[in-house]
Amino acid sequence: MVKPLAPSASSDPCTPEASYGLEELLAIAGERLGEEITPRTVRLYATEGLIDRPGKDGRRAVYGQRHLLQLLLVRSLARRGLSLSAIAPLVVCSDQELQEQWQQLNDGTPSSRPPEARSEALAYLQHIQTSATSSAAQPSSLLPLLGSPLSNRSPSSLRTSRTGSRSSASSSRWHRFALAHGVELHLSESASIPPPGSRREAWLQRLIDRLREQLDQPD
Amino acid sequence: MQPSLHVRSLRPAVASDRTTTLDLLITIAAPAIPPEQEALPRPPLNLALVIDRSGSMSGEKLSYARKAARFLAGELTERDRLAIVTFDDEVEVLVPSQPVRNPQLFISAINTIHSGGGTDLFDGWLAGAMQVANHLDAAAMNRVLLLSDGEANVGVVDSSEIAGKVAGLSQRGISTSAFGIGKGFDEDLMGAMAGAGDGTLAQIESPAQLADLYASELNALVKTLGKKVSLGIRAKRDVQLLDVINDCALTAAGNWQLPNLRYGQKLTVAARFLLPPWQPNREIVSLRLAWEQPGGHGRRSFVEHITLPVMAAADLEVMEPDLVVIEQFELLLANRERSLAIEELDRGNLRAARAHLEAIDQRLSLLPQTEAIQRERLLLEQKKALLDQDSNLSRKRLRRESLRSSMSVWEPDTDTSEGA
Repeated sequence: MVKPLAPSASSDPCTPEASYGLEELLAIAGERLGEEITPRTVRLYATEGLIDRPGKDGRRAVYGQRHLLQLLLVRSLARRGLSLSAIAPLVVCSDQELQEQWQQLNDGTPSSRPPEARSEALAYLQHIQTSATSSAAQPSSLLPLLGSPLSNRSPSSLRTSRTGSRSSASSSRWHRFALAHGVELHLSESASIPPPGSRREAWLQRLIDRLREQLDQPD
Repeated sequence: MQPSLHVRSLRPAVASDRTTTLDLLITIAAPAIPPEQEALPRPPLNLALVIDRSGSMSGEKLSYARKAARFLAGELTERDRLAIVTFDDEVEVLVPSQPVRNPQLFISAINTIHSGGGTDLFDGWLAGAMQVANHLDAAAMNRVLLLSDGEANVGVVDSSEIAGKVAGLSQRGISTSAFGIGKGFDEDLMGAMAGAGDGTLAQIESPAQLADLYASELNALVKTLGKKVSLGIRAKRDVQLLDVINDCALTAAGNWQLPNLRYGQKLTVAARFLLPPWQPNREIVSLRLAWEQPGGHGRRSFVEHITLPVMAAADLEVMEPDLVVIEQFELLLANRERSLAIEELDRGNLRAARAHLEAIDQRLSLLPQTEAIQRERLLLEQKKALLDQDSNLSRKRLRRESLRSSMSVWEPDTDTSEGA
């Protein structure tokens, strides 16, 4: 297979050169990404070379469209699990390439009007998915898990949310259980749960005591 | 361009005065790729690469998986879409489906894959399938490529249930290839998935073969003449269809489901019929070949009506049988009978398993020793020797070989990989 050369980036997108202060940049990016971005994050990215150094207007740092795009890309890729060193080579490119990458990333959702075949395949998969998740959402699911190593348990009883519940590196994985409306239990894979019997009871009692302490604490 | 269908029978006629067991060899041949088509752009690919990152993948396997995935991303163009999904007991969509404008984006994501926990193979497949389905394009080849080294031990693990779901998706335009790597994967599950998925089964013993496999898979995808190929075999009145040696899955309409057909490729089906004393010019069986051409031109089909000359049994018996028919029947039977050896292995009966392999070899030894027969006997000999050394590996290879009759099975260049 011969790969055609990418179209040359001769035609720059004619975005009017906007300029933002740090606060504005954070606000716009925060809105587009749906998460709060702190000034510290931006400074970190700038030191790591992931975002170009800002321009200066007197003593004030000024950011442009390119900075915004870089920030959006870095955050989006980081949220997908890419390390900053993996992202770095992706954000040193022309404005147009940045723009294209950003569009590609946001292109992951189905296009607005799927043809019939597509919707049929999608509906089929969604049906499979919901029929699997609905059985996973049983709130009583924690009980049968106890006493066996977590990694051997079926996820239908393990998981309440299908993806996304992985909250840190693979070495210390966490599982989430919805115990009651608005109450979740996070259980690390390394947690050792005593076998059923008196030891289990004592362990649970300690947990209840800890919880009570937390609730009863002033403040 | 369409495939053609040829029929050869063991003897060139059927008996007028006695029942006949009729061995019919049906060859489906796809023409070589026409030059004008070769000049055209190939069909776009819409792929999801689903990579197992369970703990057992760590080290060499995962490092080769990353390398091969980088190769894949590098081969695709902006007309193609690719999604990267990884799973252990959790599923992560590393890169959502998107055109491959910048392979670097995929490569960076691939480089972040590290090994983790269990093997939620079904949910991994499902997430990859979603990515392909989101952009399902009738003009493209839409396929999930699943790479795993383990048995499904998290989530849906029942192989017939998984295969059922995979078949349902294949009906809706998205095929699935299943690639098992190493020594721990479930060859029965992977075979069932690739068969139900109208895709390719591969068993990779050395991770270094991955890049070759992906190259071959891409090549097969772009050279596909027909997908969802099926053969309808309709025995006419009084004719009994005794057996189809290929052990293909049956479609809902009762047709035999064949692997994808590539330009320049031949598929062989062996069927055995029982006929009462027959009259001249009377149709024996009709064969209906149906397939779907990539590019979304709908399903196409044609029918061939088979009649054969009729003569007295005494005259028929002295006619030389067609050696090609015998050979192909025996080779397909050898594939089928490997399953018997596998059954014995599963019962822990090594001796009976070996006896089955020896029985196959015994029959092959009576045939003219053509290249194909010699190669087959060598394969059997290797499996037999492996039974004692590594029965797990022997079982995997036997399973792969047994599936050659009914689905696309990737076979690496034998001189390097079959060195047992």
